[in-house]
Amino acid sequence: MIDDTKQDAERALMREMGITEREIARRRAFLEFGDEDIKELMSIHALAEQYADPVIEAFYQHLLSFEETRSFFQDPKLLERVKRSQKDYFRRLTQGEYDKAYIEDRLKVGAVHERIGLPVKSYLGMYSFYLRTVAGRLFEAYQDAPERALRASRSLMKVIFLDIGLAIDTYISRREQLIRKQQEAMRELPTPVLQVRERLLVLPIVGLLESYRARQLTEQLLNSISATRAKVAIMDITGVPIVDSKVANHLLQTVSAARLMGATVILTGLSPQIAQALVAIGVDLSQVQTTVDLQSGLEEAERLLGYRLVPVAVRTSADQAQL
Amino acid sequence: MKAPILKQGPYLIASLQPELTDTDLLQLQEALVEQVGRFRSRGIILDVTTLDVMDSFATRTLRNIAQAVGLRGAEAVIVGIRPEVAFAMVQLGLDLRLSGVQTTLDLEEALAILDRQHKELGRRG
Repeated sequence: MIDDTKQDAERALMREMGITEREIARRRAFLEFGDEDIKELMSIHALAEQYADPVIEAFYQHLLSFEETRSFFQDPKLLERVKRSQKDYFRRLTQGEYDKAYIEDRLKVGAVHERIGLPVKSYLGMYSFYLRTVAGRLFEAYQDAPERALRASRSLMKVIFLDIGLAIDTYISRREQLIRKQQEAMRELPTPVLQVRERLLVLPIVGLLESYRARQLTEQLLNSISATRAKVAIMDITGVPIVDSKVANHLLQTVSAARLMGATVILTGLSPQIAQALVAIGVDLSQVQTTVDLQSGLEEAERLLGYRLVPVAVRTSADQAQL
Repeated sequence: MKAPILKQGPYLIASLQPELTDTDLLQLQEALVEQVGRFRSRGIILDVTTLDVMDSFATRTLRNIAQAVGLRGAEAVIVGIRPEVAFAMVQLGLDLRLSGVQTTLDLEEALAILDRQHKELGRRG
């Protein structure tokens, strides 16, 4: 069962990255990785079995001699396990099976490396070391027939570049997924509509305001106006990093819609940069009431609603005078 | 169908129903503009609370009513544009047609506005 879910996860990864049989065939065609190469690789399989252990040993020696890569192999047990799977990979490279299962495996390995945070440069460096070392071994083994060694290393290079491509794509796909998730999280950032006084609402807007969110915000504000019978709503955009013509347009629409319902919207928190940028791009906000900060927005709103704020101390002395 | 017009003190109140056709709307316009003079009304209230759609014709007619009664000395207030209607109007760019026309959330608010303006006018007169 565990195997099943694991397989499902790998399949999902393939689907997500759009890697189909056809895509695999295209990648192989682009690398000119054909049947001769498979034959070539299979012909060195016995040899590969022989040099697998010493090459892998040298490989990890190399990894452990660098600070950046050493930290990934602190645990000796882990190191053993990684070595073993590396050997499996090594064998598979010359086994002649470069089917879907092989590709799935490459993607999985790429995903694991991405998850532990191994940088791409180290990943590439590892492949480079590997290619160099194996090529050396091949030329050593076929001293009398360097032609053969060259052919074999060429084929090996093709399959390894196929693998590198897949691994890097996994890295990119994971990052893209992360970006997508973060964008969604941003989008779901709720904007509370707060009632601060009778008939007065405040909307503190934080984060990027893109179309979807702006629309949501407008709907929320209009419904709140209707529900609370608000007369004045303050939209504070102190926390909005970018206000371009699109965002300004969204804000204008919200203000107009609120006005149709009989409520006044006060826009507060326009930073000096944003104010100048809006003027520079020619956005006309003259129809909208704006104030510099939330405090003056509140004061303006209170004025519109007919409130007058009187400090307690003053009032008590006035009350005393009355008594 | 004819939209009913109610007289409430110095004001006229008309309630717009979803069933009103374009012709009905024009009739309402005629009637309001005429009655403002007959009753010497100081304001009219157009209640659109039950409308779930406001097309360009309705919007234009409302604005025309407001301007026409304005010429005959009465203020017009539109009452009860629903959130979804307001949003749709803004998206369609219909809101500009109503700029300059007063809009309020409910009847109470509309009456308060008209009363205030009525008093101010009275003071001035």
